[in-house]
Amino acid sequence: MGEETMDLAADATVEVTLRGGLAREGRALASVVPVLRHLLGAQTQGLVSEAILARVRGMVFDCAAQLLAAKGGRDPSARDPDALDALAEGLMADEALLAHCHALAAEGLIAERLMQRHAVDPVLSPLLQELIAAEDPAVASLAMATLAAQSRFVQSQRRMELPLGELPAELFHALTARIADAGAATAGLQAAYDEGASRVGLMARLVGSMRRGALAALGIEHAGLALFATALANATRSARTDAVLSCHEGQSLRLALLLRAAGLMPAAIGRQLLLSDPAARLPEAIGALSAERAAALLAAERPAR
Amino acid sequence: MDQTGTLLGTYGLTDGRDRLLSADAPLAELQERCGGDLPGTLAIPELLALVQQARRMGLRIARSFSAYDGDAEVSAFARIHPLGPDDGGGCEVLVENWQRNPLIPPSAREFADRIDAIDRATAEVSARLDAGQRLQVVSARARDAAFLEAAPLGSLWSELVDLQDITHHQPLHWRLLDGASCRLAGSARDWRVRLIPIGPDPQSPAGFELLLIADAPLAEGGQTDNDQAEVPIDASPARLVGTALTPVLRQPVARIIANAETMRARLAGPLREEYSEYAGTIASAGQHLAAMLDDLADLEVVETPGFSTAKEPVDLADAATRAAGILGVRAQNRETILAVEGARGETIATAEFRRVLQILINLVGNAIAYAPAASTVTISAVPASDGRVAVTVADEGPGVAPEQAERIFDKFERLGRDSDGGKDKGSGLGLYISRRLAEAMGGTLTVGPAPGGGALFRLELPAA
Repeated sequence: MGEETMDLAADATVEVTLRGGLAREGRALASVVPVLRHLLGAQTQGLVSEAILARVRGMVFDCAAQLLAAKGGRDPSARDPDALDALAEGLMADEALLAHCHALAAEGLIAERLMQRHAVDPVLSPLLQELIAAEDPAVASLAMATLAAQSRFVQSQRRMELPLGELPAELFHALTARIADAGAATAGLQAAYDEGASRVGLMARLVGSMRRGALAALGIEHAGLALFATALANATRSARTDAVLSCHEGQSLRLALLLRAAGLMPAAIGRQLLLSDPAARLPEAIGALSAERAAALLAAERPAR
Repeated sequence: MDQTGTLLGTYGLTDGRDRLLSADAPLAELQERCGGDLPGTLAIPELLALVQQARRMGLRIARSFSAYDGDAEVSAFARIHPLGPDDGGGCEVLVENWQRNPLIPPSAREFADRIDAIDRATAEVSARLDAGQRLQVVSARARDAAFLEAAPLGSLWSELVDLQDITHHQPLHWRLLDGASCRLAGSARDWRVRLIPIGPDPQSPAGFELLLIADAPLAEGGQTDNDQAEVPIDASPARLVGTALTPVLRQPVARIIANAETMRARLAGPLREEYSEYAGTIASAGQHLAAMLDDLADLEVVETPGFSTAKEPVDLADAATRAAGILGVRAQNRETILAVEGARGETIATAEFRRVLQILINLVGNAIAYAPAASTVTISAVPASDGRVAVTVADEGPGVAPEQAERIFDKFERLGRDSDGGKDKGSGLGLYISRRLAEAMGGTLTVGPAPGGGALFRLELPAA
């Protein structure tokens, strides 16, 4: 008798667990078709594509592996695949990190497409060449360092990797906080970090050193995508990731407005649009829009995202 | 100061409470134009936020920032390096690529709107008046204006305040009252009146917005900043340089330096090598002048009759470590090693920390400048006889001959360094000021030969 009641009770619990699990699996199945439709419907160059997914996943796993390595030192037991999966899963919940990785992956893919279609060198652009030959040794060495960093970036994108030191300070801080229990390792990572020596930091310094000449960097074919994005972000006070994503196909209106906000004339904007998105049409109205209004339009839209 | 370091970068140092302790000319100028003091809390809003962020995360960050200096928008790129608690817990700030863009003056209407917005945001008393300037509703945020809230509604506002420089009988046309100054019974502050008409037709307004804006924030129970409390502001006419000359000269001198640096770096266009070198000479002479002004202001302070210092326990080992931390970059530029000896808590003097640090920075700075490159400067905190403690700074330079040992502390004594082609930026006042400071704290500052050759400066202070 007693045995039977216990069985019943156990059955009830089991059923609750099963029902929960079934519902979860059902949701996963149900989301397959919409996601599939999005991936299939989008061209290969969609904002979310298999290429982007693979790169983002690779970069997040690489970050997790670096964190684990820093924590475990040479201890081989720290190279535990389960721990790596767990940490990576935690990192994937970090929206800021995902957004950053997405922008990097997009930057790599856009640069690749620009090279195929318009022969824009992703590493050494004509502008960078000029800067390396600059008379001012400080600018020249900054440009050399930028060149090295950019070529490392292109390489690491191919390998779907992301060195921790390339993260912006906020993300780096958030990531290293995850292994805060390994005190010395965290301190070592933090001491080695220098945002100004990262690729994005170097680019920002280089564009800064061009002063008013930074206008010359507002041409993708002349500056290359990476410097172009930094210069555009700098001129419009927007995030560099926004500037990168505006060069994506289907984001041409954003790019046009950003360029207008940076003070470019409609003819010049049209030339840039032709490079970034050949299907794009330059809105007629852009010529009538003042730089301030363009900036205001962009600023008004930003909190909505 | 290392020349290549200042080519594009401006160096500044903050402490653990985000006060700017020292800064090169352009940064110091911006700090002052933003309403800050040097030393004083960093007053450049975006830079302050970056410094706080770097300190909180303990990471070196590199970001651009911009600020408004009163005439133009300044934008620059800052690299911020947070220091450990042993080095003061503040940040090194390197600002590169300064750019000044004069703002396009807004249209008169935009400007008036902006002024109205600022006044609305800063007003401590705001009220609504009817067309006859009678109170409809009033709210006062400041304690010293609270009585206005008790005023009967419907009373004429101008009878509640004491309008200055207006002798006509009220009510006057609102345009004559807008911008007038007034005083309030029970408030020690001066107030400014704003009358903003309400309604579509400014010729016959349906009512007014009345704002009273005080000229200064309300003092909180008469307290002052701790650091300032030690040094009462001495407005005696004897302090001509520090109170009158330095503030006026700092800006033009800073501009001379900045423009000369621009020419030297050929930022304004190509220039022949010789002219670029001349510009470099102008810049370093300007820097000399700026340092001289600071020294003269210090000189005045120590020579003011009745100059005294605070008495507080000062850990000499701690002061030595901080001085080494502050001059770390300058030492690195000359590949000089700064060695600090002595354990914390063993040599405690009774003195004023700020002044001890000032003396040590002077001594260590001299040691770095005059000892050969790639040598070692040793700073030791040691106990001395007769209830005294000492801190010594030893270098590996040529040393000081016995007959020079006393003259070196004389005012404007530079021991033949004037012939150095203007490269040396000493005023000949540093050691004199240091000795006066040491004496004011009941101590002594002497020089002798160091054990390994070179000069050894010894600051002795009464022990705690």
